[in-house]
Amino acid sequence: MSGYFAGIAILTCVNLLAVLGLSLLTGFTGSFCFGQAGFMAVGAYVSTLMTMRLHAPFPLALLGGCLASLLVSIPLGYPTLRLKGDYFAIATLGFAEATRLVVENLEKITGGSRGIPSIPTRTSLPVILAVTLFCVWLIRNYVSSRHGRNCVAVREDQLAAEAIAVDTFRYKQVSFAINGALAGLSGGFLAHYVGFIQPSMFGIPKSTELISMVIFGGMHSVTGAVLASIILTALPEVLRVASAWRLVTYGALVVTIMVIRPEGLLGSWELSIGSLRELWVSGRRRFLKQS
Amino acid sequence: MIWQQIVNGISVGAVYALIAVGYSLVYSVLNFSNFAHGDVLMLGSYLGFFALTKLGVPFGLAIAIAMLGAGIIAMVIEKIAYRPLRLRRAPLLYLMISAMGMSIFLQNFTIVTIGPNFRTYPDVLPTKPFAVGTLSIGRLDLMIFIITVIVLLLLTWLVYRTKIGIAIQAAAYNMRVASLMGINPDLIATMVFLLAGATAGVGGVLFGMKYTVYPWMGVLTIKAFIAAVVGGLGSLPGAVVGAFVLGITETFAAAYISSAFRDLFSYLLMTIIIIARPAGLMGTVAQEKA
Amino acid sequence: MSKKILIAMWVLALLVSLSACKQQAKEETIKIGFFGALSGDQAVWGQADRDGVILTIEQINAAGGILGKKVELVVYDDKGDQLEAVNAVKRLINEDKVVAIIGCNSSGRNIAVAPVAEEGKVPVISTFATNPRVTVPEPGKVMKYTFRVCFIDSYSGYVKAKFAWDDLGARRAAVLYEISSDYSVGVRDFFKQSWAELGGELVADEAFKSGDVDFRAQLTKIKEANPDVIIMPFLYKEVALSTRQARDLGITATFLGGDGWPSSALLEMAADAVEGSYFVNHGDIDAPNVQEWREQYKKRFNKDIEINSIMGHDAMIMLKAAIEKAGKAEPQAIRDALENLKGVEVFTGVINIDPETHNPVGKAAAIIAIKNGKFQFYKQFEPMK
Repeated sequence: MSGYFAGIAILTCVNLLAVLGLSLLTGFTGSFCFGQAGFMAVGAYVSTLMTMRLHAPFPLALLGGCLASLLVSIPLGYPTLRLKGDYFAIATLGFAEATRLVVENLEKITGGSRGIPSIPTRTSLPVILAVTLFCVWLIRNYVSSRHGRNCVAVREDQLAAEAIAVDTFRYKQVSFAINGALAGLSGGFLAHYVGFIQPSMFGIPKSTELISMVIFGGMHSVTGAVLASIILTALPEVLRVASAWRLVTYGALVVTIMVIRPEGLLGSWELSIGSLRELWVSGRRRFLKQS
Repeated sequence: MIWQQIVNGISVGAVYALIAVGYSLVYSVLNFSNFAHGDVLMLGSYLGFFALTKLGVPFGLAIAIAMLGAGIIAMVIEKIAYRPLRLRRAPLLYLMISAMGMSIFLQNFTIVTIGPNFRTYPDVLPTKPFAVGTLSIGRLDLMIFIITVIVLLLLTWLVYRTKIGIAIQAAAYNMRVASLMGINPDLIATMVFLLAGATAGVGGVLFGMKYTVYPWMGVLTIKAFIAAVVGGLGSLPGAVVGAFVLGITETFAAAYISSAFRDLFSYLLMTIIIIARPAGLMGTVAQEKA
Repeated sequence: MSKKILIAMWVLALLVSLSACKQQAKEETIKIGFFGALSGDQAVWGQADRDGVILTIEQINAAGGILGKKVELVVYDDKGDQLEAVNAVKRLINEDKVVAIIGCNSSGRNIAVAPVAEEGKVPVISTFATNPRVTVPEPGKVMKYTFRVCFIDSYSGYVKAKFAWDDLGARRAAVLYEISSDYSVGVRDFFKQSWAELGGELVADEAFKSGDVDFRAQLTKIKEANPDVIIMPFLYKEVALSTRQARDLGITATFLGGDGWPSSALLEMAADAVEGSYFVNHGDIDAPNVQEWREQYKKRFNKDIEINSIMGHDAMIMLKAAIEKAGKAEPQAIRDALENLKGVEVFTGVINIDPETHNPVGKAAAIIAIKNGKFQFYKQFEPMK
């Protein structure tokens, strides 16, 4: 595989990790997070500072970025997750913008808006692929567990969920923390893949892109998010030449999906060998019936 | 200097106010944040700009065209992107996402069709400021302030004194009960978007005159959104108060603390308000609708 | 039903991604890559860069090419985004197998791309990345495969300080800068350094964020500090807004800007607010040696040149000289030739690459004045010692 395709595969995994968290938080638990790039920034900067200033080994730095982002999400979630959807969305947006502002201002530590160059490039495809697959597996198990179903209950009807003794706030907090950790991990990988980070990489467009991937793939499907990350990261590369209309289509697509098929590409349908076989069998049966 | 900074703060707040009332109006009835509002403002601004430069109409007519055009655009957006969801009783989350998609679409469509360059409004109003002592007050700022006040008064009259306004209020209080009372919710939604769009149209023209027109100018309405939150989402007087509070806070933060950290204070103000008083300065405490 | 659509979409996605893999082989051309912001808010500059390169290549080809071979250009858009730029350059190196790359107009993206060039061993010539860290990320280390055709921020900061001190006779300076822009922060830092060395007083140092449109809080503070000159290192839209607001507040100080200023849009937007201002630029689009080419450019693209078009031209001429010096169109040989390139005449001066920093040394800056609503060449500034 050439460096170019490996690079795209790595970027897909980076996006995928961040999208996984969002899929849990927004798709399954129903809290619209508009500031995912902020968490990625925390992960990216903390892990970079660990490798560059403290000379920590790469896995430790990744873990550090992941934990830092998780630790940020807890005090942030405490007041904001109690708020109504719009307030929460705008609070997360505010968080992401404030993070950028702080990074820009702490020039001595973060290099300010000029960023940090020559970060050792340690992210390799096998490692990130393994980590990503592991996380996908983890999240899939989580959402199909009792906890996952409680999350869905919180999303569907908070009052009803509370009535059947689901601690809605707890579930939101847990989802928010997991989301933070995954975004932090994604940021750490990103920084050590590109070898350069700058606050402008973590702006509102990045957050929007990630949330669109969740919507596109299917709000209630982990594998849908996986599929969407792959398609929406690879497709722009294929269409690099004709990119002026790309975002136009992107926006129109999001509206169309919401209006026509709000559950996204896969909806709540999960992709697995079993479900594929089912699809194959039912498809064949229908085909045979027709012919 | 402090007086000059207060004048600066008020002039910033006046623009925020015009945009924030649009947010709050939609929120009060439909309970969701119309993220595409800023882009309606942008389109209104372009309409006003082209009316002035291409058609050469007088300034008053240009504002009217922008108001009407933006109102219709907002109405159409409601029909396409929000109404189907509302009729299906989809979660509010979907409405927010649909609004976000609409915003991406409008912004990039404008970039592709009209172009990414900045455009300057012709000088229809005298821009030279006049001096009161050492204070400098822009004529344009004063004009914007007056127009803002007029529009807000008109809106207040419409919402509190006319039949349709009272229907809007009823719908804002409880859409379902209102519809039982013979108020057509679809008509109300249309009216609300028409009104919100019209205010965005005026806002767009004024904004454009003050700061030029460009496709992603809607992004700045995040500040107006913060203003609406600070004042209490869904409350019209709240949106206005919030806008001026935010404008002055920002200006003072930049002047007396640090201009590099200015926006941090906007977010901080918002965070403190929503934690201490989730309903905002003037909003009423609303229960999450079951 | 919906599942069928789903499968169809899958197949389509697969086909599209497969079709991207196919390669076209062509012999006997020199393949050069270009990346830049062709869409997004920086598109104006990226497109000007590209068009400058395209026209120059067409002219080179018309004159027989380089080493008897025609030049072929592969162009990719990066939307002004670092990650997209990295992908684009990887694709140019790994898939298109270009021998050298020209681009781009921003330091952030060039810093991101430099390690990729290092890994792929293909030289990159930046047109407009002025941050010193593009070629020298940390003192003593030079990026082997990254070069540039423009002068760097430290020089432009120095020129602004020296010009304000000597020519404008200013002693009290204020800076307004964009904190979210690496370029703006860079020039501000180097200006402050040079200004302090000259013994000047810095009376105000105010920041704003990208996307801001109201600068009056900062300007009121600056007015209070009563400077002789205000340094404004940012792009023309913010320049137009801030200068207008400054004049409205009754600020009479001279404005001094940088290479983000030159655009006909500035004159239209700022009107008389920028009258009597100066800015430091890489060259002068009204310089006599550019005019013939400018006409050809207008004819070819139906629009006027920007300073970036000239930089695109200069980068291509520099690359041509390097390939000719190397005697063969191979990335390694071109890189080695670029490192010791001397005496190449381009529109913006003479290129002499310093092997230690990969920057063109001794390039002179042009000071442009705004008089009677027009850009006017004011003087050539001597290189930094």
